[in-house]
Amino acid sequence: MFIKSLFFIFKLHKFDNDFTSKNPTIEVIYLTPKEKFEQKEAKNLLLLATRTGSIMLQNGAETYRVEDTIVRMCKSRKYIQAVDAFVTPTGIFASLECQGELTTNIQRIKSIKIDLNKVDLINNFSRKFVNSNMSTKQGMSELAKINMIKSYKQAEIVIYGSLSAAFFSILFGGAGLDFISSFLVSIIVIMCTTILAKYDVSFFISNFCGAAIASLLSILFFKMGLGENMDKIIIGSLMPLVPGVSITNAIRDTISGDFVSGLSRGMEAFVIASAIAFGAGFILNIYFKGMV
Amino acid sequence: MEFIKSFIFSFCGTIGFSIIFKTPRDSLIKTGILGGLGWVINLFMTNLFNSPVTGMFFAALTVGILGEILATHFKKPATIFIIPGIITLVPGAGMYYTMLALIKKEFYNAIKTGTETIFIAAAIAIGIILSSTLSKSIKRVKGK
Repeated sequence: MFIKSLFFIFKLHKFDNDFTSKNPTIEVIYLTPKEKFEQKEAKNLLLLATRTGSIMLQNGAETYRVEDTIVRMCKSRKYIQAVDAFVTPTGIFASLECQGELTTNIQRIKSIKIDLNKVDLINNFSRKFVNSNMSTKQGMSELAKINMIKSYKQAEIVIYGSLSAAFFSILFGGAGLDFISSFLVSIIVIMCTTILAKYDVSFFISNFCGAAIASLLSILFFKMGLGENMDKIIIGSLMPLVPGVSITNAIRDTISGDFVSGLSRGMEAFVIASAIAFGAGFILNIYFKGMV
Repeated sequence: MEFIKSFIFSFCGTIGFSIIFKTPRDSLIKTGILGGLGWVINLFMTNLFNSPVTGMFFAALTVGILGEILATHFKKPATIFIIPGIITLVPGAGMYYTMLALIKKEFYNAIKTGTETIFIAAAIAIGIILSSTLSKSIKRVKGK
């Protein structure tokens, strides 16, 4: 396939080499209306595929899944001769070939907010797109619909997230009073991090602030007598900040051969973990020196 | 009795985490069971082999394998089950105590807990690696 397309390109540019001859033969290729339509459709298809990939990537899918989705979506249509995609956590590069014309699209990914429900929905959507004869326009509208879905309300996330933090503080050996105080602490922590995320604060600062607030409030609650082990309260209320998605995806990307994305995801996890440690350590250092 | 208690706690904790990561509503209970099982296996194996690293390895392995099985059965991405399931195993306490020892300038303790934390993290990674490479090779064999 690749050699054939190379030959085709060579044929297109043949007249450049024939400049010296007296009668240069210029080959003009006429496309039938159907082929023209297919070329246009191929461009739309590439746009649809990269947009699908970018939504998946922004919501916490692994890079190999995104690459696979883009290639499968493009290959499902018969008029596409060749597709390839290269995905890193910060950008998508994809190109396809249709009727001897190469089309490339680059999409930069900047913000990442985790929403596994959307990953699942888009996975189903891409499967449906591959198996059915859906037009690209229809696909675009369906994609926009999925992108608008709100999986959980903010209040739900705050309450259940802090409940889970409270359960973790018991799991690590805390007592009944620790449950209540870490619940209260992590409500404030999750609310603060969501507010900071709204103002596009960098993830290092937001995690640093979250950890600092968590340890400060835990010390306060402990001093007020609401809680028995200060360590358990702090550990429990720091748990919602743990970068679970980056850790898991870093491991899974590395095994599937995407070393660049594996490294960058691992770096993200490491920086977040050190931000949490700095934040908590900052407050605890002041506390142990007896300033609070 | 202790196993049942810790199963319930980690079950609730994992469901809360799946809501933070916004897993689909119909797979909340499954991730909860996965997280609970992971923690119970971690406790059991830690007692059996008397080493937390081995316990974490087996826990991560079971979470990974069960996650892959659930994913192929319900036709969902495997990460939906594995990410919340693995969260209970993340050595948050170890990292905290390492940091605490560094602050108190107890460097011997810091190295002791720090190396254990790093080994636990490596054990989790190896567990996940083993389970997902297994599932990939099985899929490749079945695909042919």
